[in-house]
Amino acid sequence: MRPAAPAPQPFTLQSFTVQVRRQPGPLLAQIEAALRIHGEPLRWAITAVEASDFDSAGVVGSLLTLEAVLLV
Amino acid sequence: MSSALPTLLVIPTGIGCEQGGYAGDALPAARLLAAASGCLITHPNVMNGAALYWSDPRLHYVEGSALDRFAAGSIALNPVRQQRLGLLLDAGIEEQLRWRHLQVAEGCRASLGLDIGPVAVSDEPLQVTLSQGASGASWGQLGRPEALLRAGKRLKEAGATAIAVVARFPDDPCSEALTAYRQGSGVDALAGAEAVISHLLSRELGLPCAHAPALSPLPLDRGLDPRAAGEELGYTFLACVLVGLSRAPDLVSLPSAAADLLRIEQVGALVAPAGALGGAAVLACAERGIPVIAVHNPCVLQVTAAVLGLEVWAAASYAEAAGLLLALREGISPAALRRPLTRLVV
Repeated sequence: MRPAAPAPQPFTLQSFTVQVRRQPGPLLAQIEAALRIHGEPLRWAITAVEASDFDSAGVVGSLLTLEAVLLV
Repeated sequence: MSSALPTLLVIPTGIGCEQGGYAGDALPAARLLAAASGCLITHPNVMNGAALYWSDPRLHYVEGSALDRFAAGSIALNPVRQQRLGLLLDAGIEEQLRWRHLQVAEGCRASLGLDIGPVAVSDEPLQVTLSQGASGASWGQLGRPEALLRAGKRLKEAGATAIAVVARFPDDPCSEALTAYRQGSGVDALAGAEAVISHLLSRELGLPCAHAPALSPLPLDRGLDPRAAGEELGYTFLACVLVGLSRAPDLVSLPSAAADLLRIEQVGALVAPAGALGGAAVLACAERGIPVIAVHNPCVLQVTAAVLGLEVWAAASYAEAAGLLLALREGISPAALRRPLTRLVV
């Protein structure tokens, strides 16, 4: 197949590191909301978790580090 | 034996998993888990061994972002007999290397009976760059994502029902990272960028997609780790992608009235490395109450069930995970297989 003529680039991919303080409730929605502030999530992962002193399990209030590539 | 227990197997790419961090070296585990569950849904990083591959009707090859959407309940899977594979080649691939890839496709048509074609070349080089996160995980970028999507759309319009994409990756044969990877002690530096490419294409086109990097051949390394050997057998990493995609299930947007679709509600377990539980598919399954089996499989991350507050079944190996899947499939509580067995609390 012959390639078509190049067109302008309407978006870019950008790497981000984002930190999220975990709140009570489901985690996935919190992460996606935090990433959408910067762009449309394409690929992400929690890459580190710093435990919290706020609750006995150290989960609520913990600091999550996310590495992500977003569409911007 | 009881009916199949559809199971997700996730081994994230580019985080140096001891098992699954190299060239399709989680395939034996995947085959075992497919036999134990009767239906295993997993992603290319698990299945792709460059020149090596395995085809099994119990194994469903689903690209990582599609697997995330499946776990979230946004799509269902529709198993098919055969896909018509579009081949997307980066314009940045040199002519000789392009011929090598075309000849792999020809070989898969002639020797394996795959339906391959149309073929498209991107209208400009995709400009892949590699990077590493602070965690040590590999990531990457695409300088011309729109060029990728334009070529993918042309293939879809020409009748492709799945797309194998080959992008030119930067050669760096002398790097310490590559040497460490080939010798079995490092992270796959290419993997993060590969995932970004296939995620973008699959997400935008709604088709099964997978990626193979185009690279110049490497000099012989006598210290090569067996887990990386699959990538040293030929000129390309394409054969496994074509075989995997040839029977990849269709991705069906939900809601859909179609019958016989494989939906997340049918999934009975998810298996993932114990230190890499912070991904979209794992969290979505955990939030749905799907049992999570966390397997000891060291990697650069330490995102465990304990730090995330998840309840999981711990397994010391994929062999133990297979036993846990069999127990779940047969309706045996995994707790009954462990000691001490705690008393019921009234």
